[in-house]
Amino acid sequence: MKQQELDSRLAEIRDKLIDIERKQNNRIFLLCEGENSRAVNKFLFEGLGLRFVIVTGIDSEHCFEVLYHYANDETGCFVTIKAFIRDREHPEIESITPMLPAAEWIEREIHDILGIGFRNHPNMRRLILCDDWPEGVYPLRKEVKK
Amino acid sequence: MKALKKSVWVFHVNTGACNNCDIEIVNLLTPRFDVERLGIRLVGSPRHADALLVTGVGTRQAAKRLQEVYRQTAKPCVVFCMGACAGGTGIFEGAYHVAGPVDKIIREVDPNAIIAYVPGCPPKPEAMISGVVKALAAI
Repeated sequence: MKQQELDSRLAEIRDKLIDIERKQNNRIFLLCEGENSRAVNKFLFEGLGLRFVIVTGIDSEHCFEVLYHYANDETGCFVTIKAFIRDREHPEIESITPMLPAAEWIEREIHDILGIGFRNHPNMRRLILCDDWPEGVYPLRKEVKK
Repeated sequence: MKALKKSVWVFHVNTGACNNCDIEIVNLLTPRFDVERLGIRLVGSPRHADALLVTGVGTRQAAKRLQEVYRQTAKPCVVFCMGACAGGTGIFEGAYHVAGPVDKIIREVDPNAIIAYVPGCPPKPEAMISGVVKALAAI
């Protein structure tokens, strides 16, 4: 879809977001809380028909962030949903795998590496850590040294 | 030992590499560099091999498997550590998934193993051929 159409359609979901940031002309960030991430994802994937690219997990000082990246191939615009998870003790977010089977592995990887729980994930198993890695140690969290 | 001098049959082991070194090893066997003219042949089983070409930093998952492959290789054999990662962890120094560079993993099984190092990231195919030739001349 064209860029103007994309911008006007994004206004529909504005009530679920904290903010919309436009870092560059073709780079849009939608900031939202973790609870609303599933609705925003559903809107971007099913409502607007954007192409799902990948999910990123970030360990910020006071919260976790899960970024969902979508691409609008017609204009080369990237739309990223930035979902904040405020609870650092038991981080959890709704899984988008029931809607998008392609997200299954990347959510397993983020769970292995950062320990973020994905609710309703159909197949939550270890993916990339080795077989004798101890449970409950998440290597890319900031407090884990070695 | 004299059996290792001439036509050396190699077996390739990847212990968690980024695949750059593996691509360069496969390049050696293609018609441009063509090590088959020197008698070096890629075999499908370590039991047929005279030399192991090991790439990749030794990850925790691959360490036990590498030791098992080394035990199954017909002795006498030479281990070639290809690349900066196999030679000494490369850029993954201190990472959570590293179980030591390849020579430390192999020396746990056999302290007298013959190990040769070919540095580079990835080493050029010419460098690999030169490393193999120098190592075999030194045995």
